[in-house]
Amino acid sequence: MQGDPDRQDLRRQIKEAVDAKNAAAAVNSARKLLAVSSKSADVIFCSSAFSAIGDALCEQLGMRRLKTYIVRSVTLEPILAALAVEAVLANYALDIQVGGYGSYVDELLNPTSALAQFQPELILIILDYEELAGRLPELCSDGIGATVENEIDECCVRMEQLLRNYRAGSSARILFQGLVVPDLTSLGDVGDANLPHGLTNSVQQLNRRLAALCRSISDCVFFDVDRIAARHGRARWRDARLFLASRLPVSTEFFQDYSRGLIRIFATLFRAPRKVLCTDLDNTLWGGILGEDGPEGIATGSTFPGNCYLEYQRYLRLLSARGILLAIASKNNEDDVREAFQIRSADIALSLNDFVVYRINWNDKSQSIREMAKELSVGLDSFVFVDDNAVECAAVRQQLPEVAVVEAPVEEPWRLVEVLAGQPFFDAAVVTEDDANRVKEYKAQAQRTELATSTASRDEFLASLGIVCTFQSALRAPLARAVQLLAKTNQFNLTTRRHSAAEVEQFASATGGQAVVVRVRDRFGDAGVVGLALAQTQGDSCRIDSLLLSCRVIGRGIETALLAYLCEQATRDGAKRLIGEFVATKKNAPCVEFYPANGFKRLIASQDTTSDSIFYELDLNDLKLATPQWITLEGI
Amino acid sequence: MSIEQVPSSLRDLLADIFEVTPEQITTELSMETVENWDSFRHLQVILAMEEEYGVQFDPKRIPELTSVGLPQAELTKKGAAL
Repeated sequence: MQGDPDRQDLRRQIKEAVDAKNAAAAVNSARKLLAVSSKSADVIFCSSAFSAIGDALCEQLGMRRLKTYIVRSVTLEPILAALAVEAVLANYALDIQVGGYGSYVDELLNPTSALAQFQPELILIILDYEELAGRLPELCSDGIGATVENEIDECCVRMEQLLRNYRAGSSARILFQGLVVPDLTSLGDVGDANLPHGLTNSVQQLNRRLAALCRSISDCVFFDVDRIAARHGRARWRDARLFLASRLPVSTEFFQDYSRGLIRIFATLFRAPRKVLCTDLDNTLWGGILGEDGPEGIATGSTFPGNCYLEYQRYLRLLSARGILLAIASKNNEDDVREAFQIRSADIALSLNDFVVYRINWNDKSQSIREMAKELSVGLDSFVFVDDNAVECAAVRQQLPEVAVVEAPVEEPWRLVEVLAGQPFFDAAVVTEDDANRVKEYKAQAQRTELATSTASRDEFLASLGIVCTFQSALRAPLARAVQLLAKTNQFNLTTRRHSAAEVEQFASATGGQAVVVRVRDRFGDAGVVGLALAQTQGDSCRIDSLLLSCRVIGRGIETALLAYLCEQATRDGAKRLIGEFVATKKNAPCVEFYPANGFKRLIASQDTTSDSIFYELDLNDLKLATPQWITLEGI
Repeated sequence: MSIEQVPSSLRDLLADIFEVTPEQITTELSMETVENWDSFRHLQVILAMEEEYGVQFDPKRIPELTSVGLPQAELTKKGAAL
């Protein structure tokens, strides 16, 4: 291995980049090195290199530093290098502390434990059979297992107590790992498959129950490690020699896959999924080139190779059904494309109507994507772009670095779905009803735009929409949606604080606290929960910690209605003045004038001079904010 | 190959794990003398050697292989191409 010139060269490049504190170059070279070698020595080398430039990674690449505590009953130390390296490649700088083998109960329950003192932002709970349900193999031995259900219940009750107790004292995000289904059991393949309480069924049932438990706890996600083990082969997943000798739960050859799987799951607790899939047409959505082969000549439909493209189209349909917006950026004549969708409608799983926006012209694709992002009011960082043309891909990567680019394997169209599904872009632990309705909502948006151009004044237009707002406590609305809004709203977000569900719950339940969501509908559709405000009244002032609104509905007076509602609640709680706070970010320019425009006065002597916050004040005796007259309030 | 010398492939491997230069790796280095060679890295060292040379150590012996010369001798005995 030492003779491999590529490898030595890349290692030298990494070393130079580390010496020069050039984070991007170090990460790039490490990515290349790990693509040619997954040897422990190289992984450890990269891990040491990254930890030497931890600060540069965060400062130069905007990498998120995560204080991570691992609660465990197995040996994970040899895996940590791979975990840290893969995390960096996914844009997280982990600061890891590992708990003791047998002390997980104490760590989770004791308010002075090492875990509590570490104050992590993320905890990984990785327990093995013995801790979760050590008696299962014995109870499942005959496959009748009258007591199996009991054991599973008991395990879930115990874990629920631990998780709820921990959650009561900490808002750290939680990843809870499930169990790997055992490969060889005493009942043998046939007994285990056919008897209701064989070990395989029972472990799968336990995993499902644990997943349901995780769903019921805020900011907690279940990591189904069995899926990863099954994908790579359960028979080889664990090396019995090293598990029995050292409690190592995963064979060396899978350290990387295991780390990637784990990171892909916990990343959903910190990162909002992308929203738009923008596809090319020729040799991507269908085979061949429409301009040359004609509508009858392009490959799509039930026979090979057209069915490769049909699979991809069906996959896009599935994404669309859960709220991912579909778009097209194609260099073609629009009329030809319309004709192709019509003539081949029986062979294409999508119609042009399934795409909420498209640019079919001869313009630069970066330009097209920029226009579509603007039209949909979403950031470029919400886009995934799929194209078979390496030059187009490179151009978009270079000009729009925020866009995720997927190069379609033009020579192997059967791999298209696999390549796309292998990427974490659309991963979400939670899909809300609002997500699923989003596609409809964007179509309604297009209708509104049309109406806006046909009505004379703004007020008249807004009145014609028939907007209805409903205010609710964030606890009564789906809490997941409130947290999702906090995580992904960028443009109309006064402070951009990414609070966790536990923190929202605190606002909602504290005396004088408010956690309000707003639902909006109009004659074109129901936009669902689109806004949130968190505020706290103390003494005679009510401070607004967070106020945000989905960019789909800004500029219709809903923001003012939300503020008016806060005023009313604050007055009820005894406040005499309302304090607004604005923290400028790269993206929230649309709300910079929000407080002044609603009659707030800037506080020159800000309470907090060390931060970037600008504070505003509204005297509640002096001025009462009113809901705009074109908005109907409901359910107050 | 003389047991007194550490072959370069093993030197490089251990240098990565202990975060020292390959020149610093000698047969005498042990868990007692290398600051970074704690019980946590020990398993890492063993796993990396197994992977690099395609061998398996007897788990009973693993805790005893606490200076560079010891696993090196084991590797030679197992016919690893050092």
